[in-house]
Amino acid sequence: MTQKKPRLQDTEEVYCFDRFDPCYYCGGKAMESVGLERVVQTVGVLQAVVLRAFGPHGGQVLFTRDTGHLMLSRDGVRVLNALRLDHPLARMIVECATGHSALTGDGSKSFILLLASLVQTVEDAARMEKCAPHSLARELLSFSLQQLDPLIASAILPHSEHIIWTDLSAASSSPVQKLLSGFFHTRLSHAHCNSVSDLLCQFLSHWTAEVDQSCSCLQFIDDTWPALYTPVIGFPISYSRLLEGQIIHRDFAVPYSQTTAQPVKAIVVTTPLQPKFMETGLALETGDKGSFVHFSSFWESSVECVVSYLQSIGVSLLLSSVKQTDAVLGLATNSQINVVECVEQEELTLFMHLSEATAVTDFWDIQAKHVVSLDFCKPVLLGAHRYIHVAFPAKAPVRPCSLVVCGTGEGQSEQHASAMRDAIKMLKTTWEPPSSAPPPNTSCTPPPDHYCPRGCVLTSGGAFEILLSLALQHSPISKRAHVVPRILADALLCLPRHIYSHQPRRFAQMQYTVLQCVQERLTSPAHLQSNMNLKCCAWGLGLESVFCKYQLVLAVLQCFSQLLTLDSVIHTKSRLKTMENISCQEEDED
Amino acid sequence: MAKPKKAAAVTSSRRNVPHSGRSSIMALNGDDEDFEWEPPSEADMKVIQARRERQDKISKLMGDYLLKGYRMLGECCDTCGTILLQDRQQKNYCVSCQELDSDVDKDNPALNAQAALSQVRERQLASQSPAPPQTPDAPATATASVPQPRPEHCEGAAAGGRAVLPPAPVPSVPALSTPPSAPVLAPTRPTVIPQSTALRPVLQDAEEAILTKLRWATNQLQTSVSLETSVQLCSLISSCATSLRALRELAQ
Repeated sequence: MTQKKPRLQDTEEVYCFDRFDPCYYCGGKAMESVGLERVVQTVGVLQAVVLRAFGPHGGQVLFTRDTGHLMLSRDGVRVLNALRLDHPLARMIVECATGHSALTGDGSKSFILLLASLVQTVEDAARMEKCAPHSLARELLSFSLQQLDPLIASAILPHSEHIIWTDLSAASSSPVQKLLSGFFHTRLSHAHCNSVSDLLCQFLSHWTAEVDQSCSCLQFIDDTWPALYTPVIGFPISYSRLLEGQIIHRDFAVPYSQTTAQPVKAIVVTTPLQPKFMETGLALETGDKGSFVHFSSFWESSVECVVSYLQSIGVSLLLSSVKQTDAVLGLATNSQINVVECVEQEELTLFMHLSEATAVTDFWDIQAKHVVSLDFCKPVLLGAHRYIHVAFPAKAPVRPCSLVVCGTGEGQSEQHASAMRDAIKMLKTTWEPPSSAPPPNTSCTPPPDHYCPRGCVLTSGGAFEILLSLALQHSPISKRAHVVPRILADALLCLPRHIYSHQPRRFAQMQYTVLQCVQERLTSPAHLQSNMNLKCCAWGLGLESVFCKYQLVLAVLQCFSQLLTLDSVIHTKSRLKTMENISCQEEDED
Repeated sequence: MAKPKKAAAVTSSRRNVPHSGRSSIMALNGDDEDFEWEPPSEADMKVIQARRERQDKISKLMGDYLLKGYRMLGECCDTCGTILLQDRQQKNYCVSCQELDSDVDKDNPALNAQAALSQVRERQLASQSPAPPQTPDAPATATASVPQPRPEHCEGAAAGGRAVLPPAPVPSVPALSTPPSAPVLAPTRPTVIPQSTALRPVLQDAEEAILTKLRWATNQLQTSVSLETSVQLCSLISSCATSLRALRELAQ
């Protein structure tokens, strides 16, 4: 990675276009060199922070603010982002970890632990073998990009299984449920993992019914997630449930008038029904002196015409993204039209998608396409808030529903919801490994489907790391006494060791089980399916995505090589001009 | 042919490096001019292991402080190179200097009894002939050999907290004037009794210094308003009390 140098000695402006360059984050005094020792120290501190919350037996971190607000969390991204870090290397590492977690939905704590283990292993290797650490890092990265794919295909995939979409609607012991359960074990308490994963499975089965559209459905759910769930404070998570239709997180602007007409007709507006022509500061030009009175009366009567027209065509629900005037609300109340104001744009977009509605732009041209039918529309009390519950006519196979996510505190319900969202991201990545543009600053290409087919999962609890470590140690490359595979093999074992830090015997059992399965496969290749997952599920272990683990290893190696190719950290006196800052400045100037 | 000096720092004994391993490593290492390089010896590994354990302790402490709300700065301590932390009161804090025992001080005979005893044994091993009596000079050399208390390089409420250390090992230097014909590997017990007369004034000075610091810390504690400062002053008082107890045991 090239180092950006200041243009002049004392200039205040240092251009930095690379967000993985520590110059992006600097502020301070002199120039300092970055050595392996500095990296070891920084990573060691971050490891000490996340270690206590790692794994299915990890604890929670309690954060308190000066305002007295409390937050309990096991989410690695939340813990890392809550730290006050001015150190450029630490911020860069946290940025890499959160970036990886944004892609796969999980793995921020594993990222830090694997990075720490790798740094220490490379430090030892560099000392014992008299190698430069940065050259070792480069070798590791190029090895992972070239040699890791075949290793995973030969060593990991034979022991994994494939999950299929129709498993969603199966019994509670389906592989999808186990995959979600294994995920939630690292985020929620053990007592609730199974119930939450069941709930999420039901939710997904309602939304996605066709196998070939599963990934687009998961993407849709991820994009519209804020409109699909409702946080409820004051109840334990076991009270979470599904509600048919959509919940609009606003209350009626007028007293609710129950309509007996079926179906319920609704329209969507995005502009005020009564435009504000008479506001302070506006100048209204009329033709002659008397026409202002005429205009004012015309203005009022036009609104009456619109509302009476809506009543005549049977509209009983008006959804508005903006605030309506009191005159409009009064007329609507008299006409028994329920009005909902200031609906969030995401919720309105979802409503229009599910009901196939078109927003009204011209009130004098309200057509049939603007009026949609609903099964019902009624207020619903969730926790301490009253919302609006709408249901759409059944259109098989999709049955829209909304999640009610409960939590004992405000932060808890949000965390449960974000854990569910991350689970959906993880499912999406498992089912369809992203084939988009390669990550920045690498020349790697995403693995082809041949090496990581869709829906590939393996038992959790360190099986991936142990299998890969064994494969690296016994690979032909390792037999030529190449140090790089041995470094990676040693570093990978840190994760299962940390998982079983409270039960060292279980780590040995896991290693023995994996070894047994590997040897069974070698001795009787006729076995097409390894029974490793079956053996380990007796211990209550869930499943995890092979692709997400593979991405974790790649991301850690990439971050590590970037850390070690840094020559120096340049501290600047003023704010750096980055691409984002330049574009913001241009917008301000406009 | 003289051994290259840069390789001498690492080696203390020759070890066989696997040839196949070296040939693959040469590709990684650009300069292959140093054929005399050898991997670290067991003693070096022990030092490395000790440093790693110390670094792990530092990391754990820093992690605890980060979770308590301290800020991790982009600067390092001038003394030890550890990353500095900053508390809510904008005071910089170095975990290594202000909480952990120094990595270097344990080898300083003036500050550590074990280091002093090992230095005495080394000198006894080295000296085969009786040394001329140096009793009048011994206190002078003893005082000259005592370095100044390590100054506080880091800001923080524990200013002066680590400056006071009992100079108990100092009296062992005049022990060289005691019977030089004593066996080289004899335990230090025979040297304790003749030391008591020379020891007493030194112990008294040490006791006075500790009591002075104790009084100062007590005064500071009464006027302190910050929680961090109070905690650190209390730890200073407890370490002064421990030192006093050790001095009194030594005097008996």
